[in-house]
Amino acid sequence: MSTSDTIGPVKKVCVIGAGVMGAGIAAQVANAGIPVLLLDIVRDPADRNAVAAGALKRLEKAEPAAFMSRKAAKLVEVGNIEDDLARVAECDWVIEAIIERLDLKHALYEKLEAVRRPGTAVTSNTSTIPLGHLVTGRGEAFARDFFITHFFNPPRYMRLLEVVAGPQSDPALVARISDFADRTLGKTIVACKDTPGFLANRVGTFWLQSAVNAAFELGLSVEDADALAGKPMGVPRTGIFGLVDLVGIDLMPHLKASLTSTLPADDPYQAIAVDHPLINRMIADGYTGRKGKGGFYRVNREAGKRREAIDLISGEYRPQGKAAPIPGAAQRDLKALLALPGKAGAYAWAILGATLSYAAALVPQASDDVVAIDVAMKLGYNWKYGPFELIDRIGVADFVARLEAEGRPVPDILHVAAGRPFYRIEAGKRQVLGLDGVYRDVVRPEGVLLLEDIKLSAKPIIRNGSAALWDIGDGVAALEFTSKMNAIDGEILKLIGQAVPLVAKNFKALVIYNEGGNFSAGANLGLAMFAVNIAAWGEIEKLVGGGQMALKALKYAPFPVVAAPAGMALGGGCEVVLHADAVQAHAESYIGLVECGVGLVPGWGGCGEMLARWQGIGGQAMPGMPKGPMPAVSKVFETISTATVSKSAAQAVELGFLRPNDGISMNRDRLLADAKARALALVPGYQPPASPTFRLPGAGGKAALTLAVEGFRAQGKATPHDAVVAGHLADVLTGGEADLVDTVTEGDLLALERKAFLALVRHPATQARVEHMLTTGKPLRN
Amino acid sequence: MQVYSPPLRDMRFVLNELHAGDGFGDLSAFAEITPDLADAVLTEAARICDGVIAPLNRSGDEEGCHFEDGAVRTPAGFKAAWDQFVAAGWNALVLPTQWGGQGLPEALGKLVDEMVCAANVSFSLYPGLTNGAIAAIDGYASDALKATYLPKMVGGEWSGTMCLTEPHCGTDLGLLRTRADPVEDGSYRVSGAKIFISAGEQDLTDNIVHLVLARLPDAPKGVKGISLFLVPKFLPDAQGAWTVRNEARCTAIEHKMGIKASATCQMLFEEATGWLVGEPHRGLEAMFTMMNAERVGVGIQGLGIGEAAYQAAVWYAKDRVQGRSLAGTKHPEMPADPIIVHPDVRRMLLTMRAWNEGCRGIAGWVSRALDAEKHAEDAPTRTRAAEFVALMTPVVKALFTDLGLESASLAVQVYGGHGFIRESGVEQYMRDARIAMLYEGTNGIQALDLVGRKLPANMGRNLRGLFHPISAFIEDNGAYAGLAPFVTGLKRAFEALQGATAMIAERGMRDPEEAGAAATDYLRLMGLVAMAFIFARAVKVSQARLAEGTDDAAFYTAKVQTARFFYDRLLPQATAAFLAIKAGKASTMALDEAAF
Repeated sequence: MSTSDTIGPVKKVCVIGAGVMGAGIAAQVANAGIPVLLLDIVRDPADRNAVAAGALKRLEKAEPAAFMSRKAAKLVEVGNIEDDLARVAECDWVIEAIIERLDLKHALYEKLEAVRRPGTAVTSNTSTIPLGHLVTGRGEAFARDFFITHFFNPPRYMRLLEVVAGPQSDPALVARISDFADRTLGKTIVACKDTPGFLANRVGTFWLQSAVNAAFELGLSVEDADALAGKPMGVPRTGIFGLVDLVGIDLMPHLKASLTSTLPADDPYQAIAVDHPLINRMIADGYTGRKGKGGFYRVNREAGKRREAIDLISGEYRPQGKAAPIPGAAQRDLKALLALPGKAGAYAWAILGATLSYAAALVPQASDDVVAIDVAMKLGYNWKYGPFELIDRIGVADFVARLEAEGRPVPDILHVAAGRPFYRIEAGKRQVLGLDGVYRDVVRPEGVLLLEDIKLSAKPIIRNGSAALWDIGDGVAALEFTSKMNAIDGEILKLIGQAVPLVAKNFKALVIYNEGGNFSAGANLGLAMFAVNIAAWGEIEKLVGGGQMALKALKYAPFPVVAAPAGMALGGGCEVVLHADAVQAHAESYIGLVECGVGLVPGWGGCGEMLARWQGIGGQAMPGMPKGPMPAVSKVFETISTATVSKSAAQAVELGFLRPNDGISMNRDRLLADAKARALALVPGYQPPASPTFRLPGAGGKAALTLAVEGFRAQGKATPHDAVVAGHLADVLTGGEADLVDTVTEGDLLALERKAFLALVRHPATQARVEHMLTTGKPLRN
Repeated sequence: MQVYSPPLRDMRFVLNELHAGDGFGDLSAFAEITPDLADAVLTEAARICDGVIAPLNRSGDEEGCHFEDGAVRTPAGFKAAWDQFVAAGWNALVLPTQWGGQGLPEALGKLVDEMVCAANVSFSLYPGLTNGAIAAIDGYASDALKATYLPKMVGGEWSGTMCLTEPHCGTDLGLLRTRADPVEDGSYRVSGAKIFISAGEQDLTDNIVHLVLARLPDAPKGVKGISLFLVPKFLPDAQGAWTVRNEARCTAIEHKMGIKASATCQMLFEEATGWLVGEPHRGLEAMFTMMNAERVGVGIQGLGIGEAAYQAAVWYAKDRVQGRSLAGTKHPEMPADPIIVHPDVRRMLLTMRAWNEGCRGIAGWVSRALDAEKHAEDAPTRTRAAEFVALMTPVVKALFTDLGLESASLAVQVYGGHGFIRESGVEQYMRDARIAMLYEGTNGIQALDLVGRKLPANMGRNLRGLFHPISAFIEDNGAYAGLAPFVTGLKRAFEALQGATAMIAERGMRDPEEAGAAATDYLRLMGLVAMAFIFARAVKVSQARLAEGTDDAAFYTAKVQTARFFYDRLLPQATAAFLAIKAGKASTMALDEAAF
């Protein structure tokens, strides 16, 4: 991996405390390519590093994976605080993530103060203890270098980092560490005041508690509660009870105890922080959620894996039921949700009325910034909209009117808004309301470029139903997919065809970039399947041939093309990435040629591009490849035939989906700017690549690959249709009828791909696989 | 003149030759049904249709049914014919052996149905509706109900009805009002009015078993709150004799355009005793099992009348002499040439003939799928067959009945002014044919079923059963010189069907009215393409027989010639249908309601 982002002030990090959070933070630091020292206490005198070593072992097996690559895991060095504390002097940042006890933290800081290098940042990952208490008893120098960095679990995947600086903290150091956490660790920084629970957990705990209370009070089933409090409010479908099951029911009393002990007596949370006997009993009996014997939901294995839910009134499990249907309007429109008759509307208001006014009252007490609270909830609790965005959706005036009608206090910031929305678009800029009642532009951190912002003030250069081309400045155009799941269809191919001459004429370079969760889930299989069902083989041939032409047009365009994947880039989406001159990938990129899983082979040039990489044609060869045509063929065959998908961008490099010199952006928000910079760097003297020719093993090689597949068949690892598909793939990768002395051109390989694809698409077993994938989202092993 | 005689040669062709290799295979369940045995069945069926049922067609139409004091009397001769029909087991030809039926394949049964419909479509409704009721009871009722009712119904002693329609609701069953209140002994009291109940009351059988759609007291609104009940005309007394009259009575019979010998009853249920069939609120599902089977049966009515009309027209065209051939005198020994010499008369006769042979071929294919759906040994084949039947059911129902009326109308045209006179016998075909386009779901509803349900179901998978064999046939047979013109024509029409399918799928997804506006033309297009495929296959078989030498060269030669007429003169309608679909809904929806 080479990324300019890793060159920063922080060259080595020490994490003290190898619990779930500390270990996870250490893994993410390692994921960024930074060596990290992970320390914990000595529990076994004979094996003094056992605690940290055990944590590292668990990290390597964690699901979802904590490490992005095996290389990253090697960057974590374990130790213990008795023997190795002095080594913090090697480090530029020390992160304390030990148990939440002030006495233990004080003792540790005292020792750290003695051994750390002045200027080394020391931060605590505390979620409950005020900064003021933490630095008690420390010297001025320590206090200058000390502040709070609060990560969310799991640290690799949760993008929020709350940063709490004290009055003594050195602003320059806080800025330096924040910048490192942003660019190198990929976190979005939310600055918080030193108040209990900071922002996300303060609002989040209140939200969960009020939603649980209301469900009990209204006598709702957990299914109905979760259906109402989930998707319609822009909250993950787990809703309330499903979420509590996920994080652990036993965590609730801890959160409650910490907040009730630190919040002032008149804080509204104190009034709602009640105990529910049922929940206490569940915890006592080991029903702590998914990690325990079950939670509000469970799978009853004694009853044939029956899904069950708990009845909040009787406390007994019963078969899980379907939630009462929510009218379509109420699923999309908060106003309609709140207007629902009966318990449904009452429940929605019980949650939103209380939680949103609580969040609003945190201004300016916990933050002066409306945006910070919204970002904290969106990134810390995966809400689709932050509290103030939700108030805007209800309407500030309506929201205030309802609070007033019920005689409830109206937070000051709502008076400041005076019926106006918190956010507005003005002259193509997103603006937010300030404490003084004045709107100001929402300012992105320097180096953050988002299509979302560009779209506010610009129209696409061209667009159709499935794609659009944008001017992102400095002579660079961006191609965006807009179809459902960014699935690639004829319209996208058509737009690529139109874009190439346009970009050649008016721009210097092209970036292919999508802002949604996933780059592209691949070709639109539903459309292809419909064509199969009506025997429109000619149309399928056109789709395959058209895709090949479009991607080769990108590859040989007279300007540099940079693909910028994030999330899934599968099948055809992966093939788009493979055809770019260079890639700037988000670290969380899941890339793979998965066609074999649905009984097909890559048909848009993926086979040839992968062979070229592994044979080292037109660039550096993959490290460690023996000479001769066969090793590369075998490697590519293995990767494609097993539909392997990388679990990170780093792993995509190992698999050859990315080149060793492709870039990786840790911070999702910086991906487009990084990709644009990479594209511009390629512009001076850009020459399109030469068309590759291959030496391929032909029939002999195919026989060897087929034999291997037969072996897997015999062991039951491959299904009958796996063998059929692998046979076609082997035919393509070995060059069909080619002979070792022949040269196989790129065009020959494309023709072989088309032939294999069209043969397989007619196969009933392939059709069954595609259908199964489309209806269930899971592969069929036939 | 009504001269119907079953077209046994073409039926044998469809049964034994046309569909070999259609992918549904030979079913081991019917291994003992040899061509000879099947032939014997067809010959015997032809005998009873010719000798007993057909002679009652005109008289039954003239006399109609009688309604007196709540009782219905069928026209003279019907009771005797029914007894003879049942005694020979013709009513139970394809019914399950478990209940006393003969368990023969649908592929054979549907040919016999065609004969009965051609001979006397009014008569066909008495056994036809009973078989639908038997299917619903067999599929959904409790074992006790099955054991009590099925042997008598299969034996022809009792008959069955389907009671869906109410005065205010037909197509939209969600509006249904008939009530069923549970009684402690597990039975129900059914109350409500039903109309258009075929054979709701008659004098042919000792008891009548009504299958009635009604709502339970706790039923949700709409179609999801409808349950199915079995309500017999007579209930058993303490001794078990079926003597107690149930409160299910006929209050009137309808005065109709056609099928006058079939009693179409208004029924009143007043706290009539009944039993639940299947699960509460799931009655529509059971009823639709029955309805789908009935829809194919109604299609066969269209075919039967089409065939009878064709034969009557051919008889007249050969018998009637008027004028001379445009090419010069053909029959100098006669005062004038028979009108069959005229191209326009031949156009009409060949049109009828091609429609009939085409529909019979399609019916044979779908019947084989009906058999495979039940009896194929492997599950994938059963599924494939069921999906094909689901796709083709609306096509068979609507296409066959549209064409049946067209043929009946052409027969009247061939007769000239005489066709308009009752005694000619052909105007009855027109009147009898008209109902088949209306009941069991109007043909407009069939077209909506095709584009709205069957086409998008399983993301279009149901289409495979029709589209893939056609595509394969085109790919495999284009090189044969004799077939080339047919393959070319088939390909053109098939591409129109593919294009129209994609168009409707794409537009219909955005705007359901687009699919609705295209529906009827699309159903016709699909029917024409299916028929073109059937004719192409028939030509292939016939050419092979002719090449290898056969003593039945006249039949195969005529088959090829009929196919050629279809390809030249009828298949071009596919292009018209495609253009109409392509035009979209705009002009259909533009005119303001007030301007109508």
